[in-house]
Amino acid sequence: MLETYRGTYFHPRTQFITIDASGNVLESDDILFPVTKGEDISTISAFFEGLSAYFEAEEDNDIKFTCVHLEDQNKREYTCDIEFKTFADATKPTLIIIHDFSDHYKYYQEVAQSRNESVINSQILELKNKYLKEKEDFKNTFIANFSHELRNPLTGVTAFCSVLQKTDMTLEQQDYVEVIKSSADHLKNMIGDILEVSKIEVGKLALNEELFNFHELIEMLEFTYSVKAKQKNLEFEVDFDKKIPKYIEADKTRIKQILENLIENALKFTSSGKVTFSMQANQKRARKVNVNITIKDTGIGIPADKLDVIFHSFTQLNNSKKFKGTGLGLSIVKGLVELMDGKIVVESDEGKGTTFKINMNLKYPINQEQTSLDKKSEIEKKNFLSKEKYSVLLAEDSELAQMAVLKILAQEGNFFLDIITNGEDVIESVIHNEYDLILMDIRMPGTHGDELTKMIRSLPVDNCKTIPILALTANLYDTDKKRYKKMGMTDIIEKPFDESTLLKKVYKYLK
Amino acid sequence: MKKASKKIILLGHFGVGKSSLIRQFVENTFTTDYKVTIGVHILKKEVKISPEETVSLIIWDLEGYDDIRKTRASYLLGTHGFIYVFDVTRPATFENLKDDITYLTNQYANTPLKIVGNKADLVTKTYLKENKDMFAVAPDFFTSAKTGDKVDDMFIALAKELVK
Ligand SMILES: Nc1nc2c(ncn2[C@@H]2O[C@H](COP(=O)(O)OP(=O)(O)O)[C@@H](O)[C@H]2O)c(=O)[nH]1
Ligand SMILES: [Mg+2]
Repeated sequence: MLETYRGTYFHPRTQFITIDASGNVLESDDILFPVTKGEDISTISAFFEGLSAYFEAEEDNDIKFTCVHLEDQNKREYTCDIEFKTFADATKPTLIIIHDFSDHYKYYQEVAQSRNESVINSQILELKNKYLKEKEDFKNTFIANFSHELRNPLTGVTAFCSVLQKTDMTLEQQDYVEVIKSSADHLKNMIGDILEVSKIEVGKLALNEELFNFHELIEMLEFTYSVKAKQKNLEFEVDFDKKIPKYIEADKTRIKQILENLIENALKFTSSGKVTFSMQANQKRARKVNVNITIKDTGIGIPADKLDVIFHSFTQLNNSKKFKGTGLGLSIVKGLVELMDGKIVVESDEGKGTTFKINMNLKYPINQEQTSLDKKSEIEKKNFLSKEKYSVLLAEDSELAQMAVLKILAQEGNFFLDIITNGEDVIESVIHNEYDLILMDIRMPGTHGDELTKMIRSLPVDNCKTIPILALTANLYDTDKKRYKKMGMTDIIEKPFDESTLLKKVYKYLK
Repeated sequence: MKKASKKIILLGHFGVGKSSLIRQFVENTFTTDYKVTIGVHILKKEVKISPEETVSLIIWDLEGYDDIRKTRASYLLGTHGFIYVFDVTRPATFENLKDDITYLTNQYANTPLKIVGNKADLVTKTYLKENKDMFAVAPDFFTSAKTGDKVDDMFIALAKELVK
């Protein structure tokens, strides 16, 4: 019976052929590819052409080719493994064994097909992404440069508002100035936001680490926002883990910015209930403490389908006038958190509230006790001035900026002010006068302010090495800032500046 | 009339158009459908390289690998010429151009080799000119299996070199 079954169900898929030295068929069982005796084996397929070149005549050879596509006379395709056995003994003919593995290879073909297609698709995507990224970078650089140009004229507006407010005005006029000033401030903030987003996105924003009292910062936030919350009839709860070190080393301004932004947001979008700000310490390792920061509100919440876009630039879900802002806040927050190697996520229940969670590491000094950070506040310093009058050099070509500085300093009554509008004349003047401080515009006709500073620092006059030189500039790229410091500038005053910023910095450096 | 039989092999990443180039050369057809080649297909075409000389090209169309060192060694036995194909629109297919070519010229020093940037129909001539530095080794031909541009030229140029 077995033999009968074999006869019925066994389909051999292997063919044996022998050939002579010139490739003509001697014998074949014709299982797959029928061939006539005496015919050249390459009538089956071009695959067999030029075969003899593969073998060493003096030895036995056994060569295997896998996955070879062959067609029979009816154009049916087979995928086969083919084996050659040649023998050094010249009386033994070459043996060819063809195994038909079509079924097996069909499966393999399908796998390869889907794998290759997806790889190719992802490469096309990569190409597209690269193109998009280049466009995005261009846009961001453009925005950065442009918003930066906007700052210069704004300096004039804000500075003169402060000055104008000190003149004799009717109450009505004072109101108008107040409006101009607050609009200008708003514009300044928006430009600042835009500049920051674009700087983060092109990777031009650097963190300035400093040692500071972290607990103090949190207390300050607690105080400020408790007051604000009360005004809105909201509760503001702070749950701060005292295991978090008192002193940490980080970019204080940026950390404050992140927390303020999220808390303010929470208060803005909550009309009843409470905002909870909590901070927990996880493990400490290698002078770093891992913290979880949570800001939770009971506000309007974010629809589920909008959750992943809220961190994108230029999105504000609620486009109504009720919530003012650029809509860039969260995108900046995310950028900053990531810059600090942290992670931020958001969870929200529409109508019930929103929770932002940050996880990040904070660096802290081992010796917390000996850390002394008792710097006197700069404004207080005003009372400890040693001279009655200080002489200040202002190197600045813009008339608007000249007037602004002049008015602000004149009101103080502590200064003699020299104004020079041309880079070339600055050096001359510095040699002949003993200034207490120099305010230096960067972009001036002739020599630029940073170059001038370098020259001043190298003058063989004692005072020139130590005299405070403050840059007045709207160039706020970190690379620029670094360069200015390297050229010998003591500090930088950002344009647009207002009265108190200018005075704070000036008093800070006067002896 | 002289008639020689020469085995040539097309190498390169998958999807760069090796099978399409051969189909265009042998059958003068092109299809946008992509059927992944596995293993090897062998096709044959007689090429008249001069009034009295014909070469019979045995063209081995291999499965594409991202690393040519993975090519099954037996396939390469007795090869007379190579065509190395990459896709001008897919950087991943010419990232290792230099290494691959160095490898081939070291391993098969006296075997003629043509380097081909295919799918030239998808980019402009100016683009290729302006971006020629993208390709670490200057290609011998920019072809299009789709339009047939430079396809015959490329195979015939190789065939002529094989019988020199
Ligand atoms: N536009 C264009 N498409 C091509 C060209 N050559 C091949 N293709 C397409 O590219 C894909 C892969 O081609 P194929 O010949 O199978 O590549 P192989 O894996 O290297 O053999 C197919 O969809 C072809 O239609 C060409 O010159 N121009
Ligand atoms: Mg193919």
